[in-house]
Amino acid sequence: MLHDLIIGMAGSGGDGIVSAGESLMSASAKEGYYAILTKSFGSQIRGGESSCRLRVATTPVLNPGGALTVAVALNWEDFLRFGGELPVTADTVVIYEQKTGIEPAAIPLSVRPAVVLAVPIADLAMKSAGTLQAKNNLVLGLLAGWFGLGRQAILEGIRKKFGRKGADVLLGNERAYTAGLAYADEHPLAAEKRLSPPQTDGRKRQVIDGNEMCATAALFAGCKFFGGYPITPATEIMERLQREIWKHGGSLLQAEDEIAGIAAAVGASFAGRKAMTATSGPGLSLKAEVLGLASVVELPLVCVNVQRGGPSTGLPTKSEQADLFAAAFSAHGDTVRPVLAPISVEDVFGVTVEAFNIAEEFQTPVILLSDQEIAQRKDIVDPIDTSRFKLVERLRPIGRELEGYTRFRLTESGISPISHPGMKGGSYLAAGIEHNERGEPCSSGEMHEKMNDKRLNKLKPLQRRRDLFLMEGDPAATIGVISWGSVAGVALEAVRTAQAQGLAVKLLIPKLLYPVAEEIYQEFFASLQRCVVVEQSHQGQLHRIIRMWTNVPREFMSLARSGANPIAPDTIVRRISEMARPATRTTVTTLVPTLSNQ
Amino acid sequence: MAYTAKDFRSSLKPIWCPGCGDFGVVTALYRALVNIGRPPHEVAFISGIGCSSRIPGYTTAYGFNTVHGRALPVAQGIKMANPDLLVLVAGGDGDGFSIGGGHVPHAIRRNLDLTYIVMDNHIYGLTKGQLSPTTPRGAKTSSSTYGSMEDPVNPLLYVLAYGAGFVAQGVPADMDGLTRMIEEAIRYPGFAFVNIQSPCVTFGDPEDQMKVQKTKMRKLAAEGHDSANRLRAMELAQEYGTALYTGVFYRNPNPPATYDSQIRARQRNQQSAVTAAAAVAA
Repeated sequence: MLHDLIIGMAGSGGDGIVSAGESLMSASAKEGYYAILTKSFGSQIRGGESSCRLRVATTPVLNPGGALTVAVALNWEDFLRFGGELPVTADTVVIYEQKTGIEPAAIPLSVRPAVVLAVPIADLAMKSAGTLQAKNNLVLGLLAGWFGLGRQAILEGIRKKFGRKGADVLLGNERAYTAGLAYADEHPLAAEKRLSPPQTDGRKRQVIDGNEMCATAALFAGCKFFGGYPITPATEIMERLQREIWKHGGSLLQAEDEIAGIAAAVGASFAGRKAMTATSGPGLSLKAEVLGLASVVELPLVCVNVQRGGPSTGLPTKSEQADLFAAAFSAHGDTVRPVLAPISVEDVFGVTVEAFNIAEEFQTPVILLSDQEIAQRKDIVDPIDTSRFKLVERLRPIGRELEGYTRFRLTESGISPISHPGMKGGSYLAAGIEHNERGEPCSSGEMHEKMNDKRLNKLKPLQRRRDLFLMEGDPAATIGVISWGSVAGVALEAVRTAQAQGLAVKLLIPKLLYPVAEEIYQEFFASLQRCVVVEQSHQGQLHRIIRMWTNVPREFMSLARSGANPIAPDTIVRRISEMARPATRTTVTTLVPTLSNQ
Repeated sequence: MAYTAKDFRSSLKPIWCPGCGDFGVVTALYRALVNIGRPPHEVAFISGIGCSSRIPGYTTAYGFNTVHGRALPVAQGIKMANPDLLVLVAGGDGDGFSIGGGHVPHAIRRNLDLTYIVMDNHIYGLTKGQLSPTTPRGAKTSSSTYGSMEDPVNPLLYVLAYGAGFVAQGVPADMDGLTRMIEEAIRYPGFAFVNIQSPCVTFGDPEDQMKVQKTKMRKLAAEGHDSANRLRAMELAQEYGTALYTGVFYRNPNPPATYDSQIRARQRNQQSAVTAAAAVAA
């Protein structure tokens, strides 16, 4: 029996492939499995090719996985368009539409899988349901039959979904599903490929994506204002918030552009409320100037950037980790803006709360660097224990501090109490222009130096926040891996696999990417002989940023490649075992050559 | 308690050139705020970048001197976050109709209850005399040595076309008129726009100066204009750049619900829905 199953399916827009994936997802949640569902589309608005991957397991799933256990192709043109997103190996069970007319031995793949099943999917759907629209439910029957995925839960799901659409429609889809089950029973697989029964603790798990989790966490953190503009793949944050934020006494503005969205959020923060904006790459470029403004007027603000492929319009529907430079260095001038990154859908909750807390405590804009994969994939998540999180509010002036109030008072910590309109005695001028302690415009070099000291020094305690770093693996290991964002979920699995293979390795996951926590990295490096930084950008942006602030030995490498295609756990395991071999230092392979390896 | 102009004047000395029209604007504003009677700490005064955008610092209100062109979106965020505040927005013609021009239509159609004061001097003063969006065609400036080749924006017609509920134009040469129209703009429940022909003494056209304004200005009230007549207001606004009309061009006699009042209503409805659901659950 299997404990971990990865199903990849592709078809044309109307085939209902993604909808089948969602049905499997909710059935898996109901049965008590953990799972991750990722969807991928061409950039057409409707129609075109679509695919999904579902990784379902008996224990929490860390990433969408590498090679497929099961591949379903409703037609080969669409399947092949997804290339490396749906990798097939010799071990993959391939199920495809017989109507394509291609013989099992002649399927257009570069590998020869051992099990290739040509199924008359369309014919069976017509025969059982009388409509081709039921093809996806027939596929669900096949998958439930062959791989032991929640027979009953899927049927209940179909009843819930089609129950409202009339008795005929419901009956047709039920019949298609049953026909799929029957076909699987009549054509058993030679080798057992059933998923082990789930282990449940009875707690109700939720199916949720990273964007929804971000919105949920923002409301929990006390966000009272959102200003934004629609952009893929971040829009769902705004969509979720606009349904909920009013109930919390907040408000939301879909602004005329990205700049107005962040500007309004800065305004709301000036008015004393916790505020947020969310965008993706092109929007981050536009928001840069106002991020600088928030830094100089020392106003708390959370700016979410859901990374997609870039530069420019790039790959709007695909994931990449190439906005780290843009996040860290977004605006001009001598500033530091903290950059945080979550590693999973569940982690988005805590990291979003942390982003608000850091923004409030340090009176600074914070960039929450999510990525398309985390933002739009759906995970089955255990209930979140919100009592673990404390919420931070900005320091406000009280009592005598409101007599002769000095907004930008030079304090030891660099943090000075912040008033807001309506607070008697707290009036001040917030200005993008350099100012003195009272907020009055001032162009003296001495004052500029003092204010830069204040704004930069106040963030220093962040660099010692060890709780913003995860450490996994063997503390005594001399081989290390560093990874961040969604790719950290892949690295986590790879390190566990390598350890199970007897390799001594440890993993450092920074959730605080900027400012660079020099001591934490330096300590990690000092304990290692070899190290690799794994990330999804062509230049290896985290590797380079770490090198700007720390002494990274030359042989500590970057394992980096561009986005869209996921990095598979196997790739990292291979690299770990290469590092573990004594004489391989000169023969290390990389996904793509990076400058640091030349 | 009654306030005096002193209560609204800060200790900062303006950077403006002696004789600048903006001195008149800030004085008229102090007087208008005295008449309104709200305490300074309940006033949020937002601006962009430019000579005129320094104005919040010369008041005792909560001031926010933002970045170039973004005063309106920042101000809207403030008003949305706290609708109880009196929100004033100010800037120059470049800030409002060039770099920030894209925000004006949306501020108007959104209709938050705020007052937008533009100090229109037809020139970029802070950067020492380049073409602005309201510089007349043919004008020679430091960025148009051979004369401007483009037509100016007509701020009055622009805001009227997008449906602003209150549109007025004033001059510092008529302090009483200016004070009155700023006060009326603040009292108007919705987006209110005041264009002030505020001459630049250093880089401006000699024909724009206050002395000339006094002879050129034509008070709309005296001309018998009915400020409820939007089409007539648009006709008069067409003469921007030729005739110098002062006073209220348009005041919507039936102001629609403001965005901020709708926010409050939605918060109330949604919160009571939650309370009702909780009561059912209990």
